[in-house]
Amino acid sequence: MSYIFNRLLSIALTLFLITVITFAVTTILPGDVATMIMGTQSNPEALAGLRKTLGLNDPLVLQYGRWIGGMLTGHWGQSLIFKVPIADLLIQKIKASSLIVVMSMGIALICAIPLGVWAAVHRDRWQDGASSSAALVGVSLPDFFWGIMLILLFARTLGWFPSSGFADPSVSLEQALAHAFLPSLALGLGLMAHLTRMTRSTMTGILGQEFIRVGRAKGLKERTIVWRYALANAIGPVITVAGLQVGYLFGSIIVIETLFNYTGMGWLTYQALLNRDIPLIQATVFVIATVVMLANLAVDLLYMYFDPRIRLA
Amino acid sequence: MRRFLTAKGLLGAALVIAMVLVAIAAPLVIPADYGTRMTMTARLRPPSELHWLGTDQLGRDLFYRVMLGARTSLGIAGAAVLMSLILGLPIGMAAGFYRGGIDNALMRLVDTLLSFPVLLLALTISAMLGPSIPNAIIAIGVAFTPFLARIVRGEALRVTQMPYVEAARAAGATDLNLILRHVAPNVMPPIIVQATISLAFAVLAEASLSFLGLGTQPPQSSWGLMIQASRDYLDVAPWTGLVPGAAVAITVLGLNMSGDILRDVFDPRTR
Amino acid sequence: MSSTAGPLLARQDDTRRPLVAIDDLKVEFKTDGGTIVAVDGVSFSINPGETVCLVGESGSGKSVTSLSLMRLVEFGGGRISAGKLKFASRTGDSVDLAEASQDFMRELRGNQIGMIFQEPMTSLNPVFTIERQLVDGLKAHRGLKGNEARARALELLRGVRVPEPERRLKQYPHELSGGMRQRVVIAMAMACEPRLLIADEPTTALDVTIQAEILALIDRLKRENHMSVLFVTHDMAVVAQMADRVVVMYRGKIVEEGDVATIFENPQADYTRMLLAAVPKLGEMRGTIAPAPMRRIGDSVTAGLSVSSSRPEPRRLLEVKNLTTRYPVRGGILRRVVANVHAVEDMSFSINVGQTFSLVGESGCGKSSCGRSILRLVEPQSGEIWLNGREIRGLGQTDLREARRDMQTVFQDPFASLNPLRRLRDQVAEPLINFGLASKSEIADRVAELFDRVDLPRSFLNRYPHELSGGQRQRVAIARAIAPHPSLIIADEAVSALDVSVQAQVLNLLAELQADLGLSFLFISHDMAVVERISHYVGVMYLGRLVEFGPRPAVFDDARHPYTQALMAAVPVADPRRRRIHEAPSAKPLASPIFPLGHKPAPSIYNEVTRGHFVLRDN
Repeated sequence: MSYIFNRLLSIALTLFLITVITFAVTTILPGDVATMIMGTQSNPEALAGLRKTLGLNDPLVLQYGRWIGGMLTGHWGQSLIFKVPIADLLIQKIKASSLIVVMSMGIALICAIPLGVWAAVHRDRWQDGASSSAALVGVSLPDFFWGIMLILLFARTLGWFPSSGFADPSVSLEQALAHAFLPSLALGLGLMAHLTRMTRSTMTGILGQEFIRVGRAKGLKERTIVWRYALANAIGPVITVAGLQVGYLFGSIIVIETLFNYTGMGWLTYQALLNRDIPLIQATVFVIATVVMLANLAVDLLYMYFDPRIRLA
Repeated sequence: MRRFLTAKGLLGAALVIAMVLVAIAAPLVIPADYGTRMTMTARLRPPSELHWLGTDQLGRDLFYRVMLGARTSLGIAGAAVLMSLILGLPIGMAAGFYRGGIDNALMRLVDTLLSFPVLLLALTISAMLGPSIPNAIIAIGVAFTPFLARIVRGEALRVTQMPYVEAARAAGATDLNLILRHVAPNVMPPIIVQATISLAFAVLAEASLSFLGLGTQPPQSSWGLMIQASRDYLDVAPWTGLVPGAAVAITVLGLNMSGDILRDVFDPRTR
Repeated sequence: MSSTAGPLLARQDDTRRPLVAIDDLKVEFKTDGGTIVAVDGVSFSINPGETVCLVGESGSGKSVTSLSLMRLVEFGGGRISAGKLKFASRTGDSVDLAEASQDFMRELRGNQIGMIFQEPMTSLNPVFTIERQLVDGLKAHRGLKGNEARARALELLRGVRVPEPERRLKQYPHELSGGMRQRVVIAMAMACEPRLLIADEPTTALDVTIQAEILALIDRLKRENHMSVLFVTHDMAVVAQMADRVVVMYRGKIVEEGDVATIFENPQADYTRMLLAAVPKLGEMRGTIAPAPMRRIGDSVTAGLSVSSSRPEPRRLLEVKNLTTRYPVRGGILRRVVANVHAVEDMSFSINVGQTFSLVGESGCGKSSCGRSILRLVEPQSGEIWLNGREIRGLGQTDLREARRDMQTVFQDPFASLNPLRRLRDQVAEPLINFGLASKSEIADRVAELFDRVDLPRSFLNRYPHELSGGQRQRVAIARAIAPHPSLIIADEAVSALDVSVQAQVLNLLAELQADLGLSFLFISHDMAVVERISHYVGVMYLGRLVEFGPRPAVFDDARHPYTQALMAAVPVADPRRRRIHEAPSAKPLASPIFPLGHKPAPSIYNEVTRGHFVLRDN
């Protein structure tokens, strides 16, 4: 019971810090919001008046308080460039991004785990060399490069998938998946390479442990030892690493979504940053950080499921 | 040392050294305005004897552009990693060596910062400060600091708990003695490995930043910018994108390979 | 039974035939530095129903030999380059295991040959229940499933005397103690009633009382199942207790072989004699008063033993009064203290100038914490520590640093107690520099002298720790410890990680230094036989308290506290004529030194049973 309470307290503290950091980062700006709304050629008096109305001359702490208060009561403000309530924008875009994040994670895990295990089992032989080299190249290419290549290949040359845009799954699932596929693949390839390496190194470590030797001494088949005994121990750490990669993914979607014109959170964040839409920047950065934090939390809990030592402690 | 001389190690080191040499040599080899001079009649030429890697959409020789890009990209990446080390080392060392309250407070801050994706942080800082090369360095450097601080803290914690540190304390060493003679030197090898890998990520980060227009600004050239500029012409002139892409890949690959090998070299279990 | 047959060598069922006959076995490993021959022409046999002990120090090839028999060396990068491994299987055929396929071996393993290893803490799969791990061997070899398998698993657990077997089946390995885990591992090995049990250092990582139980268990299983046992160990005392026949190995070759009585009473090879000499026998100091040096080869049994002590009572050097040290257990978001580990509880004792006080106990009793508390590497809660008339606990940081000149330490792990990146001469010089004991020009000479004093060649001055062996590194640590001329050295399991022959040399070095420099030692150890030999005074610790202490002859020859008596009974004696393998009632409940906040423990009160000999009053 007290564990849960402590956990909630910890989450609250982290959320608070997230808001502070978000606010801090978005207030180190040379230009200001008023100029962006009215343009740089505007009447200085009008600018001063707008600043007063927006409360930009107040002490930072007060501005922060206003912002937090607004968020807690559901008033997330209006985007300067889109001129619509931010909350509406966020809800739409989060759904879109969730689709590709989940798809890319799925693609990556399904391919990486078997590949990594295979490499670990055939350690130091050609299978290991081949898959490790491929994985190494995979993590060395930027995500947007994969994206460009995929566009060239599948969209332009083969025409199998659309190269841009987003489709609402509630309208047409097929269209949604078609539009989401290439972006997910672009994200997934880099992730897959990283997870393959992680799986391989985790499995190698486990295969060197004593209980593996004991398993062999019992006369168990090698296949059983690798795919049951060893993998059962590797799943936990690998899933944990995969979960921690959600943070990395939410950074990459900014680039990938922009590349594919896929209007999700990443695309939205980029538009906000490019145009210095401060309220929108604050909202998107806050939401992304919170989602990542919750993902890390989920990973912790998931790890408990896999490792009885932690579960019963 | 012997462990470095594997195929992977040699190749990795070779790639890195080659790129660094290219970066250093670039301004010396290329005529002053060549990178920026535009010859509209020579647009989008494929690789040939005259232009080894072809030309871009403004007729500029890609081979020279890529060399100049090396300076920018490697320079920004290197400076950013240096910055993250300067910020992250003291934080991590203090947390790992003194533990207790300092550790809790610092790590809570660092862990919270880690909830912000690195690229997001870098993009935001760069956008807020206004995109330019110095600001890109700051943005990437600050964004990398939390991760590095965490790694430094882990290593400092491990080393501080080693018997030889306790023995030195029992032999009359002061905290400063302990940090300078024992903790810092033993923390450095894994940190060097991490710095190498961070360099690889920094090159990727700079490329991403420039690709999105929030990093290097024209007329400076960097690999990310070149890829960005090539987007519209990929159908007709794929080499305009492939060349800078390959440059990024080769550099990052070389750094990753070197990092892997360094990790093996420094692994205490294989001593 | 087996679908893939191994190479046949003989057919008749001859009960006089050995169960295992190893013939000229050679095993190699490929490393970065070339090919290493780990086993070089080893031949011996194991007869039905007998225990053969394969004994040697590190690097002797004993483990590799046992792994080769199971053909598990290949998984560790080894290769059997020559020799035969003849095994008489259940079907009556004699098979050469060296030529057998891995499929054939797989059928043999866990079925006709069982194997148990050294580390119980890591021998079980952490994410599977005990039941699952017991049952998968049964499934693979006997085809048992479901309730049948479960019943057999219960039977096996009862056979190894695991208490509450039904409950254990559902538990995970981390919920069991080390001793219990080893029992489970033995149960797994016994699942299919093997003809041979290979035990590779199965008790080395266990406390002495648990070791006694496990040894007794193995012995009983052997007798009940008419099984042979190949017992690999480095501990001659265990050999004396368990072996029918002994095979002594050194650097990959067999040095001597014979039945246990002959080996112990009439060893032929020099190496065997050296091994036997270096191992102290519990009880051989009976009747003497003063410590004696470790024997070297050629010394008679009574060499160095003195019956009377004519020196006057020396004065007090260290006095510890009511020392208490507790470690906080933290939990919750704010990391508040939720409980305490009572590592050291109300301990009082003293050490005289030029004498050795040994602190013995099993793992977790607090002996290391006591040493570190005295040095204030960890801060005690309460109590007084008087060194040379100066109270240590109350000193400020600067004075403490200065006081540390007088007490130095040698730790257990010779590798981890030296900075891997600093030259040895710099590390030995460090105390001299810290305390300002020598000018720059003098330091080099002083360090060289110290190296001489600990019998290290001067060429080692410029080397790094990884270039030295374990024993040599400990000498460096000792040189560093004596550099500032301390009065007291706290040796925390300083020789426990060393081979027996090296251990003897280092102990003798310490004794010489004591005589020459008037050093006192607080010798922390779990090895009763060593402690008996080298101590003037002894303290026995359990759960953070001294349960018994006094002059060595009193505590060892006249142990009064039940815990001390249990310890003495459990220590294996290196004399085959004094076998005492009896299975103690299984696993005593594990007492824990963790108490909730605010728990006020009773003070330690002692009865003086003979002069200077104190026993804790239990209540």
